[in-house]
Amino acid sequence: MLLTPNALGWRLRGGLLLVTGAIAAVLLLPIVFIVLLSFGSSQWLVFPPPGWTLKWYQQFFSNPEWMQAALASLKVALLTTLVSVALALPCAFALVRGTFPGRKTLYAFFTLPMIVPLVVIAVAIYALFLRLGYTGTLLAFVVSHVIVALPFALIAIINSLKLFDRSIEDAAVICGASRLQAIYRVTLPGIWPGVFAGALFAFLVSWDEVVLSVMMASPNLQTLPVKMWATLRQDLTPVIAVASTVLIGLSLLVMLAAALLRRRQPRSR
Amino acid sequence: MSAVLQNNAPAAPLVRLQNLNKHYGDFTAVDDLSLDIQEGEFLTFLGSSGSGKSTTLSMLAGFETPSSGAINVAGRSLLRVPPHQRDIGMVFQRYSLFPHLSVRDNIGFPLDIRKLGAAERNQKVDAMLRLVQLEAFAHRRPAQLSGGQQQRVAIARALVYEPRILLMDEPLGALDKKLREDLQDELRQLHRRLGITIVYVTHDQEEALRLSQRIAIFSHGRIVGLGSGYDLYQNPPNAFVAAFLGNSNFLRVTARAQAHCDFEGQELAMRPTTGIKPNQELLLMLRPEKLHLLSPEQAATTPMPAGWNEIPARIGEALFLGESQSCTLRTAGGTPLMVKSLAHAQGLQPGQVVRLRWAASDACVYTEWNDADLSKAAAH
Repeated sequence: MLLTPNALGWRLRGGLLLVTGAIAAVLLLPIVFIVLLSFGSSQWLVFPPPGWTLKWYQQFFSNPEWMQAALASLKVALLTTLVSVALALPCAFALVRGTFPGRKTLYAFFTLPMIVPLVVIAVAIYALFLRLGYTGTLLAFVVSHVIVALPFALIAIINSLKLFDRSIEDAAVICGASRLQAIYRVTLPGIWPGVFAGALFAFLVSWDEVVLSVMMASPNLQTLPVKMWATLRQDLTPVIAVASTVLIGLSLLVMLAAALLRRRQPRSR
Repeated sequence: MSAVLQNNAPAAPLVRLQNLNKHYGDFTAVDDLSLDIQEGEFLTFLGSSGSGKSTTLSMLAGFETPSSGAINVAGRSLLRVPPHQRDIGMVFQRYSLFPHLSVRDNIGFPLDIRKLGAAERNQKVDAMLRLVQLEAFAHRRPAQLSGGQQQRVAIARALVYEPRILLMDEPLGALDKKLREDLQDELRQLHRRLGITIVYVTHDQEEALRLSQRIAIFSHGRIVGLGSGYDLYQNPPNAFVAAFLGNSNFLRVTARAQAHCDFEGQELAMRPTTGIKPNQELLLMLRPEKLHLLSPEQAATTPMPAGWNEIPARIGEALFLGESQSCTLRTAGGTPLMVKSLAHAQGLQPGQVVRLRWAASDACVYTEWNDADLSKAAAH
């Protein structure tokens, strides 16, 4: 390590601590505030809250509209994860193992949604689905989310597949396993952390996606961020803070679960 | 050819490669290669990287498809047989163990794929664990083993389903020298005990000599030398093999008669060689240990046996190498030479002119050669 903290003077160390602390504060404080506000008794999101209450949580969880939105979010996110991984896996194999011309172009094409502004994609899909009459359906949500989630899943899986020594799969084949058997029994367990990370990214992308969802939503079907957005435009109730806390909470939970699972993975390679 | 192989000669070969070609675009990786491999033989493909040895092995395993040619095992064509149905065992350079499985399950994998019963499977796995002396490590993961242990697991995994042929692609390349030599001894014993046919790929000529009954020397996608290590070393079929395998001295000579030639204005005796014309350029090859170095006084008092040659040369450098001594010299015409001897000649001084003697029968005669191949001799 070039920059071991001990080697630096206390003055420099203090400065470093200050800068790091400031950056962390800028990133984390809004989240902390929102969580605190969700427990505040004021109806106007006043900080610091004059008192503490759980009544906004009660309102949130007893309101069928919020519950439906949360459920819809979960459903869309899980389906998006499933479809993204199911598509990204064969894609990754083709792009890493394939020798066909145009692989690089294809890769660029698949990752394009990461670069193109979300609004552009949203408008394009909206125009298409409007014509097809699909807006407001679960299909519209999942398809549009998969478009932006797929690159994340794909990159994670491609990276782990590139690191996986192909001769291990060949060894399984020469041992008598067909190529598919070898992939299923040897390669997939080997690249599992990458597949899992890809699934995680896909889930999180879909879970808090708002731009596409606002376009896809209908009064009957909307996700949590859409419902928040719609509510926010009417009034600034602390229930929104509750919804935000629920959003953040689930994201944190997913990431925590991932960290735990990864720790349980024995160090291989 | 070794004696063992001559006994087997009338039998049909286990593996027959015929006019095998492999092209990658303009690049020819394997060039019209034909080879018979006998049952129970330990054959090594020896060559530098890019010589086609690994590609040939890969085609035998089924991971590469030949551009043209035939691969037959026991009289049956393998061309349309996918690798997982070829019943061939293979050991890879980087061990290629399954990282998520224990040693026991790695070895059991081929049997699980073949859906063997639990009792038979465990019995066979136990036998393999004993064979490679890894019983105590059966429940470890590959990552918890040393390189040598991992390679023994890989060998056990390749043998447990009793394939007829075992392919080994530089299996010891990643190990240090001492461990490599131990595993070479183990491999030789394993081959003797099991009688399995082994095709081994390496770029290490010492390893090839230690292990194999026959060596196939690869260059530019062709086999340029095939035979026992002894034959290839003592009587290389061409200048390339002579330069590639071990150290060699080359003398450019002009033919005078069937058994006589001129070297830098001096007449030398050589092996009778048929089909040479007077004044034809020839190449003599002498192994460094076949040359005898004598001081002028020794030369004056020691009579030269019949059929020997003697030339003067100037010492460039004399090196003491423990069990042997090596000496570089240069003739009056500027030909570089190297002498290796077990005896220690004391007091060899750089610049001193000495006498070199050799038996004419010890020098190989080549009528055709590629000058670029000879420079490999200097690289050693």
